[in-house]
Amino acid sequence: MSIGAFDAVSAYGRVLGATRTPKIAETEAAPETGGSFGGMIEKLVSETATSLRSAETASAKQVAGKGDLIDVVTAVGAAETALDTVVAVRDRMVNAYSEIMRMQI
Amino acid sequence: MDLKTSLQVSASGLRAQSLRMRIIAENLANADSVSRTAGGDPYRRRLPSFKSEVDRSSGAAGVAIATIEADKSAFQRVYQPGSPAADATGYVKKPNVNALVEAADMKAAQRSYEANLSAIEAAKSLTMRTIDLLK
Repeated sequence: MSIGAFDAVSAYGRVLGATRTPKIAETEAAPETGGSFGGMIEKLVSETATSLRSAETASAKQVAGKGDLIDVVTAVGAAETALDTVVAVRDRMVNAYSEIMRMQI
Repeated sequence: MDLKTSLQVSASGLRAQSLRMRIIAENLANADSVSRTAGGDPYRRRLPSFKSEVDRSSGAAGVAIATIEADKSAFQRVYQPGSPAADATGYVKKPNVNALVEAADMKAAQRSYEANLSAIEAAKSLTMRTIDLLK
């Protein structure tokens, strides 16, 4: 698992956090109902980061000759699934956003 | 998510079968290991036994090796008076390892490992196809 992918995910999480803050201030008058979309994404991203990190640890151990191959396979598989989920959700969101931007007023 | 849990269960199967494979390898490698002392017992064949192991966080029943026990069957006796392991009558005790039995066990372990690998592949491809629905 490359570190570049992990950096991209955490950067994405930071950007989301930054864009989320004014939104909360905006809707302060209305009562909060349920978790926000930003919060959901943040949770997804942090979960992905955790699984990517554990995959990296497992791979490093395996390279050093101390790890179990099955552990590496399961950890990398979990990280791959998590990253794919985040990427799919992000693509979906960006698509929706650009569709709104293209809307004729 | 259940597919993720099934991956963990299959991984426990992989682990158990690889340990079984190791024990079979030990048995085969030691098929000719005799005692170091005169008249002593040679290598005794080892037998793994499996048990179901419930993971508390997910409630899924994985598999694990419960115990590795010694095979209690009798040793073969071969007349080799010149051997340092021979007893007073000139007989040497040979390990109770039968290469044919080990080969059959090895095939069983191999097939079981392959079955677990297939289960992992299936669960993974199902997860990926579910994610693809989002795209």
